[in-house]
Amino acid sequence: MSFLLKIKNSEEIREIPNDNYTIKDLLDELSLSAQTMVSKQNGELVIEDTVIQDDDEIQLVQIIYGG
Amino acid sequence: MQCSKCGNPKVIIKKEQSGQFLCKDCFIESIEKKVIKTVRKEKLLDKGDKVLVALSGGKDSVTTLEILNTFREMNVIDICAVTVDEGIANYRQEGVDIAIRHAERLGIEHKVVSLKDEFGITLDEIMQKENHKGSCTYCGVFRRTIINRAAREMGATKIATGHNLDDEVQAIMMNYLEGNTDNLTKLGAKTESKAKEFTVKIKPLREIPEREIGLYVVAKDLEVHFDSCPYAMQSFRGEVSEVINQLAEKHPTIKYSTLRGYDKVKEVLKKEFKKDYSHGRCVKCGEPSANELCKACSFLEELGV
Repeated sequence: MSFLLKIKNSEEIREIPNDNYTIKDLLDELSLSAQTMVSKQNGELVIEDTVIQDDDEIQLVQIIYGG
Repeated sequence: MQCSKCGNPKVIIKKEQSGQFLCKDCFIESIEKKVIKTVRKEKLLDKGDKVLVALSGGKDSVTTLEILNTFREMNVIDICAVTVDEGIANYRQEGVDIAIRHAERLGIEHKVVSLKDEFGITLDEIMQKENHKGSCTYCGVFRRTIINRAAREMGATKIATGHNLDDEVQAIMMNYLEGNTDNLTKLGAKTESKAKEFTVKIKPLREIPEREIGLYVVAKDLEVHFDSCPYAMQSFRGEVSEVINQLAEKHPTIKYSTLRGYDKVKEVLKKEFKKDYSHGRCVKCGEPSANELCKACSFLEELGV
């Protein structure tokens, strides 16, 4: 079970570590704040409580930068 | 889980402050309605206004332009825009290009003014000087001068900036914590100066949280420049912002209550603390100034330009 993570200009295949693994869990793992990011699942905007499914494409877009 | 307004299961936001879930269309509509409500409530626009949008190409200014354009489409106002090119290598050009494309898309009068053309020096060059006072000090003052001049040259009656709820709350708290009562009298949705050379400034997005503006541009597929200024550094504003955001996690309405509280005491603050600056003219450039030299010209002298 894996998904494709797209963030900035990079792409990476990642394993889904457990059932009910959400985008929020992914953000926590990457030490990213949900306050500064928006998430897309297979091209559509979703909330961070969304569970990541096998073969999903998850895109994280940083919308808030310091300064 | 479904949209609290229309029942669509494709939800894109859970609003922490209200517990509401919204789908894309209802979210976009809610933002636009709220900005329009702020414009009406605060009387930010008058029929026949020509509004100059300070357009950097970032999410806040692009959203300001996009929503104010609905008033232009209804023939209530005219819009023009100015983009300031500070001269920051590998950063600014993308925002400038995006701003140009938005102005072309909407068919509005637009000009790009560079620090180099206006003052003979770029921000990168200033930062090479040994005696510089930090990038943000110059950027703020030079940008403000350019925007004020552009407003006069383009015949604008209002200047619209993209300040959002987070910006406003940070400014309120920073000035309060610093005991800066003078600056506390100057915040708000609409700021006017006694000097007629300073155009009235309006902030249509001041009740929209920053994250929701980011989500709005992504939801609407608006092209914006998402990037961090290379000169952004740990500032007092950054520290204040961090504390407010931490508090907001447990107290989701705190930004709104801070803004509402400020709006309630603002008139009293103005009455008690507003300084009546005598406005003369800068002897060098002729801009309105409380001193012999305006801030921009005194910086240029210090920098040897």
